[in-house]
Amino acid sequence: MTSPIPGVSLAGFTGVSAIGGATSAPAASSTSGSDFAGILATSLDQLQSTQSKADNLATQAATGDLQDVHDYMIASNEASLATEMVVAIKNQAVSAFNEIMRMQV
Amino acid sequence: MALFDAMSIAGSGMLAHRKWLDAVSDNISNINTASRTSDDAFKERMVSVQAVEYGQGDGGVQVSGVSFGSGEGRIVYEPDNPLADENGNVKYPDIDLGDQMAELMMAQRGYQANATVIDRATDAYKAALALGKG
Repeated sequence: MTSPIPGVSLAGFTGVSAIGGATSAPAASSTSGSDFAGILATSLDQLQSTQSKADNLATQAATGDLQDVHDYMIASNEASLATEMVVAIKNQAVSAFNEIMRMQV
Repeated sequence: MALFDAMSIAGSGMLAHRKWLDAVSDNISNINTASRTSDDAFKERMVSVQAVEYGQGDGGVQVSGVSFGSGEGRIVYEPDNPLADENGNVKYPDIDLGDQMAELMMAQRGYQANATVIDRATDAYKAALALGKG
């Protein structure tokens, strides 16, 4: 059963948006408005809605209101895939950040 | 959801086939339901589906409606039946069990095929997410 991750909220990503602001400031002409922090925030929003959909269906299954068994299985599958995807994006971002931090000056 | 479309599309196929299974189940369960000759016999349930155009809608399939077969039935001489008329006749639905079993197999196989699509799509998406992990 999937449950929403209370720890993962948009409030935790102010640091990322600060990084986005720092990088977009010198190259303001090249940014088209959708910086990395925005993309991450959007995908987190989508993850939240996917997980709450799966949660609703899980509740329906428990109360006997579920019309279709496969509805819940698909929703939980989608939620787990979306979680994996956001975690993968996060890992890539963190590793890119670490790579930059290791850079010799 | 636009991101994992293959799964919700296959889900619509599972829904359509489940409704088909329900209709076949309804037909088979009523195959021996007698009725008065003055009434209609049990009418065969037939589920009709149509494609949801990919690009305009979400893609997949949807149940467009349920149509009913003829209520004419076949007249059977059963004088012991409490529903028999003065000539001793009752009406049975004119449903062919062989047809229904064939439809049952098609609906079941279609349902399973859509479930397999979801499984394979999950594997494929997982492979895409594992890209770059070495």
